[in-house]
Amino acid sequence: MIFHPAIIALCVASLFICLMIAYSAYYGIKIVKGWDIKSGSEQQLVLERRTYLISAILTYVFGFYLISLFLYVFTVDRLHIVFTGAMCAAGVLKVNSYGYPTLLLKIMIFIFAGLWLIVNYADNRAYDYPIIKTKYLLLLILTPLVITEMILQAGYFLQMHPNIITSCCGSLFSEGKSSLTSELASLPVVPMEVAFYLSMLLTVYLGISFHRKGEKGYLFSVTVAIAFLISLVSIISFISVYYYELPTHHCPFCILQKEYGYIGYFLYVALLGGAVSGMGVGVLMPFRNIESLTGIIPSTQRKLALIAVVFFLIFTALVTYRIVFSNLVLVS
Amino acid sequence: MITLANVRKIFNQARPNEYTAVDGVSLQLEEHDVTVFKGPSGSGKTTLLSLVGCMARPTSGRIHLLGREITSLPERFLTEIRRKTFGFIFQQFHLIKGISVLDNVMLPAYPCGERLSVLKERALHLLDLFNVSQKAHTRVEWLSGGEAQRVAIARALINGPSIIIADEPTAHLDSMHSHELVEILRGLKNDRKTILIASHDPIIYDSDIVDKVVHLRDGKVDEGDTGPRTRGHLQLLKGR
Repeated sequence: MIFHPAIIALCVASLFICLMIAYSAYYGIKIVKGWDIKSGSEQQLVLERRTYLISAILTYVFGFYLISLFLYVFTVDRLHIVFTGAMCAAGVLKVNSYGYPTLLLKIMIFIFAGLWLIVNYADNRAYDYPIIKTKYLLLLILTPLVITEMILQAGYFLQMHPNIITSCCGSLFSEGKSSLTSELASLPVVPMEVAFYLSMLLTVYLGISFHRKGEKGYLFSVTVAIAFLISLVSIISFISVYYYELPTHHCPFCILQKEYGYIGYFLYVALLGGAVSGMGVGVLMPFRNIESLTGIIPSTQRKLALIAVVFFLIFTALVTYRIVFSNLVLVS
Repeated sequence: MITLANVRKIFNQARPNEYTAVDGVSLQLEEHDVTVFKGPSGSGKTTLLSLVGCMARPTSGRIHLLGREITSLPERFLTEIRRKTFGFIFQQFHLIKGISVLDNVMLPAYPCGERLSVLKERALHLLDLFNVSQKAHTRVEWLSGGEAQRVAIARALINGPSIIIADEPTAHLDSMHSHELVEILRGLKNDRKTILIASHDPIIYDSDIVDKVVHLRDGKVDEGDTGPRTRGHLQLLKGR
């Protein structure tokens, strides 16, 4: 293990998060099993009081989780100077078999945690805890993921030895190989650009439409999820290439470095922010007709749709600006 | 209507100094009535009022206010109910020293965001109603006991509550001022306010304005010493 301050911070924070989530999940099970708002029993009143504490704990814990994804990527990127062969986070994540699974799980939890916070926000605004059981069921699904992520992250950092020779991103994200990353890098540029702009156009159109009329929430949410995936693929396929002005370099991590003005962080924040806000609209759809939420959810969804549209527009603007002003011409 | 169903309040639960202040109280209190909770010191009167007034949560049991269950409500809703529905008159008055009578009266209305001129006018009207308008700009520490009580009542009414909760309102008043207070309460009753009073002062519970006397002892309703109308309600609840 390398004793880097950020690694220690990430490990300690993960352990702390796991303890807090395990504590919350314990009460989550009690709530899922025993919640009965009509009962005036002592147990019910204890659960009602306890839910404020759990809600507050989870808001902070998941709030930190949203930041920890970027801290993880930043830390891994900083460590590239330690490993022979590594040029950015891509190589450092490859030093053992835990790096990429940890990253993928962190992205997944980022989205789930964001959605949980949205559901929690809506539930806390109603007077009768209308979606409390759903909220804690979601937490019980999230808990094993968070614990697995902590174990994977610990495994990744513990088995990180400086004498390991790793691959550079040029090798991992190069065309003409049989790996998934190579296949993504080899995707044809023009169809990918068309797919990217169409998905963004549709997302923005449906988002504005939902903001105005409050209709087709599910369709908007699904479109956001598809646009998110297309954007991730697009970053490897053609967006990164425009930033590096090098047609063979498809790394999605080098854009996080100082040489590129840390633009990667802006791109990923916009993308993830848009995805969580947009998918949040769909997650709230089943609850919008609950009596105590009829005055809360539609307005929350409209705000979320607007936030998602703004994030996706920022992402598209950053990408388009680079395509227009890059010295590299991929499509003439 | 206020309904209490098997309400219990235990302090320091599961500790050596555990204390049951209210023990399984079920009651039905009518709107626009004056109800007095009577009983010796430590019988649970103040605790019961604080539970009804949303200032504390019961350990078990439910309280319904005008058909709405209030014990399970999240804190932000309770704050709203406390602010709009209840006016509190405390035993020790709890006026804030160092500021004027007028400021004290206006204080509970500040979070509502009303225009200051409108609020000031209403506060002065209330002070005038209780004959303390001439003291509007006086600091509260210079008031007599009777004046302080009247200012406390004016403050309780500033947000136009439908229910007045008074905890031992005559504890620091002499007989003359206590009778004066009864007359003020009569006026409030005529304004169709629901009034809940905790008191063991006969000037209060023997007064003709009182519709119901609930006798409490050791945190329980003492049916044997409770007025006939209340007994009827208890039987009605038990029969359900």
